[in-house]
Amino acid sequence: MVEASIFPLEVRGVHVTLGTHHALKDVNLRVDALARTVVLGANGAGKSVLLRVLHGLIAPDAGTITWAGSTRRPAQQAMVFQRAVLLRRPALANIDYALAVNRVGRAERRQRAREAIERVGLGHVAQRQARVLSGGERQRLALARAWALRPRVLFLDEPTASLDPAASAEIERLVHEIHAAGTAIVMTTHHLGFARRQAETVVFLHEGRVTECTPADRFFGAPASAEAHAYLQEELP
Amino acid sequence: MNRVVFTILFLLAQAAGAQQFITIASTTSTEQSGLFRTILPAFTRATGVEARVVALGTGQALDVGRRGDADVVFVHDAAAERRFVAEGYGVERIEVMFNDFVVVGPASDPAGARGSDVAKALAAIAGARAPFVSRADNSGTHAAELRFWKAAGIGRPWGEWYRETGSGMGPTLNTASAMNGYALTDRSTWLSFRNRGELVVLVEGDQRLFNQYGVILVNPDRHPHVKKEAGQKFIDWIVSPEGQAAVAAYEIGGQQLFFPNARR
Repeated sequence: MVEASIFPLEVRGVHVTLGTHHALKDVNLRVDALARTVVLGANGAGKSVLLRVLHGLIAPDAGTITWAGSTRRPAQQAMVFQRAVLLRRPALANIDYALAVNRVGRAERRQRAREAIERVGLGHVAQRQARVLSGGERQRLALARAWALRPRVLFLDEPTASLDPAASAEIERLVHEIHAAGTAIVMTTHHLGFARRQAETVVFLHEGRVTECTPADRFFGAPASAEAHAYLQEELP
Repeated sequence: MNRVVFTILFLLAQAAGAQQFITIASTTSTEQSGLFRTILPAFTRATGVEARVVALGTGQALDVGRRGDADVVFVHDAAAERRFVAEGYGVERIEVMFNDFVVVGPASDPAGARGSDVAKALAAIAGARAPFVSRADNSGTHAAELRFWKAAGIGRPWGEWYRETGSGMGPTLNTASAMNGYALTDRSTWLSFRNRGELVVLVEGDQRLFNQYGVILVNPDRHPHVKKEAGQKFIDWIVSPEGQAAVAAYEIGGQQLFFPNARR
């Protein structure tokens, strides 16, 4: 039996206010199947809020979010946060727990958890407590946990923040592999090298507004908005 | 600028942009060999349509098409492709190009697999319990490998000597190189693969190793959001003299990787 598509993910006129702060203002964008979308913008631009809205963790004050034309949020999505949220249990059990919450049967859970942890190269620490793993290992474990759920779209909030170059490269390789296996990626990052290599489409946020939603080569070659131009100028060496 | 005007312009630009690209679900061999990176710019120049490729195993690529998450599939498992069309997920299967599979393995060939008979070679590898690395990913290459094991009278191989990676051609060849083991690969990926270690081509030339690629428009009757016109433009272009010439012109180290043979 073939699952129905959950795409396109369409955001129309979304506003989000956090306290008195207008975090997102009239945001419109579209994510297609198998997309590689990178959300860029300065600190406080609303990138993380946007990802949380897309993942259903924050409800917009106004506007609509639809998946294949329906407002019902599909289950086939996962999110990895900047600081991996891990449970006080062994690494493998963290993956198993996520699968159990998603009602995957015990036998299949064991197989999928083992496959996922091997795939991110953490098979040797499967029984080690998740919270004693290094920063890079924790982020790889978070990716494995998300991957095991076989999401159709994966939201990644600054997945390489605070990681050393080797750990960042490993995360980048895994993100590439997850996409290559058929998962759409929507990611925020300040790592412009990673963004250039990963992005097919760039969404640029400035003070809560989308000022550009454009193919990546066009964005990095000649950003249309003054804000994006300034952002790239400041970030480039 | 007035906010309403900006929003309208933004939505119009998005709508226009959405019409300017198609998604092609294809195989790791066409992507990792570098073919698409070379020919797609010519397609875009000719048609104004951008093509975005996601490289999967053939089985996964067809599943993506079944969900309507791609506009075109470009794969290499004729039986699975015909099934895809017969089930109503695809409009028509059109043959585009071919290459061939080869069995690679250590130059010392401890199993004695060298030759031109793929079935005999696999029987020798299994008999010697020599390391064999399989993609095991429901890809076209994996499907071909299973056919060859069957032809060797082995059915489904198993044991410590048979390593399943569950991943694409590149990672599978890397594993074979690291283990100094045998593997089945399409020749195009092999020619573009650099981390060969001691691996060389040991088996080639068997007619059964022929590897045909086909292209199919995902059925817009089943998935109305499929970009029918833009997807058909890609199919028309790849089977046109220009597209076929672009396929033929792609070489690595002076060797042609794919051979055009378009026919409906």
